[in-house]
Amino acid sequence: MAAMQSESMVLDCRQAAFLLGPVSMNVASRDAALTPSVARAFGCRIAADGRELTVFLSASHAAAVLRDLRAGAPFSVVFSRPQTHESRQIKAHGVRIEPLAPGDVDLIRAYGDAFVAECVPLGYAERFMRGFFVGVADDAVAVTFTPTAMFEQTPGPDAGKRMGPKP
Amino acid sequence: MSVTLRDLRRCFEGAVPAAIATSSGDGTPNVTKLSHVQFVDDRHVALSYQFFNKTRENILANPRATVEVIDPGTATHYHLYLEYQHTETDGPLFEYMKARLAAIASHTGMSKVFKLLGSDVYRVLRIDAMPGGLTAAAAEGADLLSGLRACLAGLTGSADLAMLLDGVLEGLERHCDIRHGMVLMFDPQRGCLFTVASRGYPESGVGSEIGLGEGIIGVAARERSAIRIGYAVQDYRYVQATRQRFAESGGDIELDREIPFPGVPDANSQLAVPILLDQRLLGVIYVESPQEQRFSYEEEDALSILAGQLAMAIELLARNSEQAAEPVRETVALPQPPVAGSAPVEVRHFAADRSVFVDNEYLIKGVAGAILWKLLSEYNEGGRCEFTNRELRLDVSLGLPDITDNLDARLILLQRRLAERCPFLGIEKTGRGRFRMAVRRPVRLENVARC
Repeated sequence: MAAMQSESMVLDCRQAAFLLGPVSMNVASRDAALTPSVARAFGCRIAADGRELTVFLSASHAAAVLRDLRAGAPFSVVFSRPQTHESRQIKAHGVRIEPLAPGDVDLIRAYGDAFVAECVPLGYAERFMRGFFVGVADDAVAVTFTPTAMFEQTPGPDAGKRMGPKP
Repeated sequence: MSVTLRDLRRCFEGAVPAAIATSSGDGTPNVTKLSHVQFVDDRHVALSYQFFNKTRENILANPRATVEVIDPGTATHYHLYLEYQHTETDGPLFEYMKARLAAIASHTGMSKVFKLLGSDVYRVLRIDAMPGGLTAAAAEGADLLSGLRACLAGLTGSADLAMLLDGVLEGLERHCDIRHGMVLMFDPQRGCLFTVASRGYPESGVGSEIGLGEGIIGVAARERSAIRIGYAVQDYRYVQATRQRFAESGGDIELDREIPFPGVPDANSQLAVPILLDQRLLGVIYVESPQEQRFSYEEEDALSILAGQLAMAIELLARNSEQAAEPVRETVALPQPPVAGSAPVEVRHFAADRSVFVDNEYLIKGVAGAILWKLLSEYNEGGRCEFTNRELRLDVSLGLPDITDNLDARLILLQRRLAERCPFLGIEKTGRGRFRMAVRRPVRLENVARC
């Protein structure tokens, strides 16, 4: 536990603003046989001290990821802004899975609106983008984790570069 | 209801980026966006390998990957559980993915970043459909299937190759609403394709040439594989290709002997389908549209079926024309003699590339140029104007290959170039395997021997 603590990082304001923006979010874990699991996330919140991040997953969409996380597997999430392709991947050793807190459904809705608004100018129909969110608020759960590493993932020469914490 | 990979083909159009999860050997998951998933067959997909990144490092250590794709109609998400098998760095799959990646990159402003290094082939172990999404739109494809049926019906009964090829393009417009298209035939001797029929362009472009590997048509021909892209790519546009060829040749190719490729100048969707008889390349059907994402997998399927049937129809016509020529029909009108008093036409033949210039304007080159020169020479020497395909086949000076000589295609090419550029010279069919050289002005011939 002490080792994990020393690896944890604090998200600064710019990083937080990016993660809370109109970005697509995809999460991953893996099972004991190292078969990966993947799912879309539908918004996030960041703890006031910048040490904990929470993403919202649909229990039905993310059944495999949640199964693997409950078994104690590590976690990854990529945030990517459709209009700029700017992308970050964050890793964590493990997560806490909890019911939504008061206000989380509003965060999911606000995220949905912002994400749709981001994608419509790229040529996606609004009706289509709304289809991403059908039923999500009904079975969403909160997945909270302490980021241990962040990587640049914008396509290009710096993709894969570790952005924090400094080794 | 279980979902098959084929059901998901429209998820692979690149309209919505996918995501891929992998795991390192020590169990650390990795997740990233994925620009391109390619349908290979009912059990395999291929992913583009563009950089040596964490995903690639992971699949080499642990071959399992899970990909999330999204239906561009219903927004339903699907999870594909995959196992990496091998990487291809050339061949049809690689070239198809390279073209499609270039289209996606150009569409998303990432042309400088995206470059295909390989096509990673994965076996699909399982597909899970996620709940949610929208009600499926009305089934597409029904109209296309009946359109295809009508196009196929139009292949029968054509008297000659010109009618057959024109009929294909007319059918595509009438039955499938595909308004810009052309048929190119393959010249195995010179390793290039030449346009024989076109529809939907201000200039027919008949006679324009595309080298193997040049643009989407040349790549489809070289790889003997359909290629389809839904966004404009500079590298695959033909105005560009011609200029580049000129630049690369150091100016050796004389642009004044190039017939401009017709092409829609702002084509955003392109589909090239090889016409194959077994694995022998006869030519390419090419269609395009200014609309983005105009052609789906269904159009690719439909045109592939059409191309297969067209190949057989071409072969059948070729076999028929090899049979003895019909006697000249008596009802055929006699040729009109040259109009007395009209100025003679200067026809110059350059032996080096067998190009023919009429009144200093480039007309045609290669085998078609040699044929025209032969016909006009015989006309001028003895007033002869009736000819047979068979005698052309037997004339070694024309340099036709022994098999698959494409003579019919070359005659159509010549006939159409004459109709467009020199209406006073014409090739008129007078029966199966027979035609007449109609000369309506006196001609003066000059042969420029090889230097």
